[in-house]
Amino acid sequence: MTVVTSAIAKRRKLKSRFVAGMCIGAAVIALAVLFSILWTLVSRGLPALSLRLFTTSTLPTGENGGLANAIVGSLIQVGIGMAIAMPIGVMAGTYLAEYALKSRLGAVTRFVSDILLSAPSILVGLFVYQLMVATTKTYSALAGSVALAVIAIPIIIRTTEDMLGLVPIALREAAAALGAPKWKVTTLIAWRAAGAGMLTGLLLALARIAGETAPLLFTSLGNLNWSTSLSEPMASLPLTIYQFAASPYEDLVALAWAGALLITVGVLAINIIAQAVVGRRR
Amino acid sequence: MVDQPNTPSGDNAPPQISVRGLDFYYGTNKALKNINLDFGEKRVTALIGPSGCGKSTLLRVINRMYSLYPDQRATGEVLMDGQNLIDESVDPTDLRARIGMVFQKPTPFPMSIHENISFGVKLHEKLNKSEMDARVEWSLRKAAIWDEVKDRLNTSALGLSGGQQQRLCIARTIAVRPQVLLFDEPTSALDPISTAKVEELIAELRAEFTIAIVTHSMQQAARCSDQTAFLYLGEVVEVGSTSQVFTAPKEQRTKDYVTGRFG
Repeated sequence: MTVVTSAIAKRRKLKSRFVAGMCIGAAVIALAVLFSILWTLVSRGLPALSLRLFTTSTLPTGENGGLANAIVGSLIQVGIGMAIAMPIGVMAGTYLAEYALKSRLGAVTRFVSDILLSAPSILVGLFVYQLMVATTKTYSALAGSVALAVIAIPIIIRTTEDMLGLVPIALREAAAALGAPKWKVTTLIAWRAAGAGMLTGLLLALARIAGETAPLLFTSLGNLNWSTSLSEPMASLPLTIYQFAASPYEDLVALAWAGALLITVGVLAINIIAQAVVGRRR
Repeated sequence: MVDQPNTPSGDNAPPQISVRGLDFYYGTNKALKNINLDFGEKRVTALIGPSGCGKSTLLRVINRMYSLYPDQRATGEVLMDGQNLIDESVDPTDLRARIGMVFQKPTPFPMSIHENISFGVKLHEKLNKSEMDARVEWSLRKAAIWDEVKDRLNTSALGLSGGQQQRLCIARTIAVRPQVLLFDEPTSALDPISTAKVEELIAELRAEFTIAIVTHSMQQAARCSDQTAFLYLGEVVEVGSTSQVFTAPKEQRTKDYVTGRFG
């Protein structure tokens, strides 16, 4: 016995098509924006790409400068930032997931970390300025690295805790039932089971801080010359883009586009690696 | 058979584990009430009863699994080798080397088959490579899974079927060479063929290990065990030889349960 008349069926079909149409339309808009950004980036960045970018430091307009100091500066600061953030973030996330499920300190840590996660990155820059630049009276690459670490830490804490939370309790109990003490259950079983997800979190944090500009403005400042000293101002890709993109000289603007393309390709590569890591482990 | 009214066991095997006056609490909820039960050495003791009667809880007290959770506590005695296992002075990690546990769902670790076995062994013993290989083979043979996995010991254990994973977990538990094996509904997630294999395995392991098995399957209890204890609402209602409990239960509640009238 069918109670659904053809009129109702028709109306339902129409509604269904309408909703599907809205969803598809929204997806198309989002993708169109994304592709237009990528297209602009590639069409303006690609012509400016050359070997010179990697071999020559930034120079005044008309002198055929490159981005070598900015690229190396970014690698150094992001590298040190991750080296600081990784152990703190992973251990803190592990503490929250494995040891502090019901503790007050855990709840406070989680709350503060989540606030930090959404704090404006310029605020982080100002904080590190007060902490390290104002006290030492000099802008430094180390201050920049610390600022990047402060951005990365809450991201790593959250992903670590979330990924460990997905590890079944039964797996931990099975390890404990074999006589494994808690720290071995955590490091040998839980970390291993959550490893791909935790690594993805680290890579996402890396991708995030690689593109950060604001925290570096008052910390590592930027440097037009080649410098690898941690106690002096250091160049970085985002800062160089920020400075050059607004300049009136066409050659510098072109360099900014090339730098933007480099960062985007780098971040894209990190994301693809992250996907591949997760895919391989599954 | 000599009747021994003072030991709450249906069997005259010497007890490997004696539970005396055991109470257990989840927070303020009392889940086990004054449990007295002997687990005969190299005997299979089946714990049966409706869901929530406390049979899994009892297993988790014996290997101190409950102590992972701060709001769970036990009072009374679980005696083994003259030691009260639930006493704070007993190190739970040492205790778990003597009392192994196999869980309801297979829990292979995300590592190779070989590493799954060696993980537990490494916690308690220092073996060189050939000794470890020998131990891995020994335990996999004991768990009747060697022939199926011997050519892929270094592949991930997650690629095994559910039944194979469960036998791997049994091998992993045996590899530590415990005296007692606790099975918590070991076949409830398995198909009938895998279930039959695990049951056969339990029958063989009985020669070397003292075994306690929690099961929802009356047939499984009847097939696998020497002694059966019927638990209801956190109490041991009746314990005796398996044939007696199933054919001539003394308590009405036991009779109702084993004949399928409730539960």
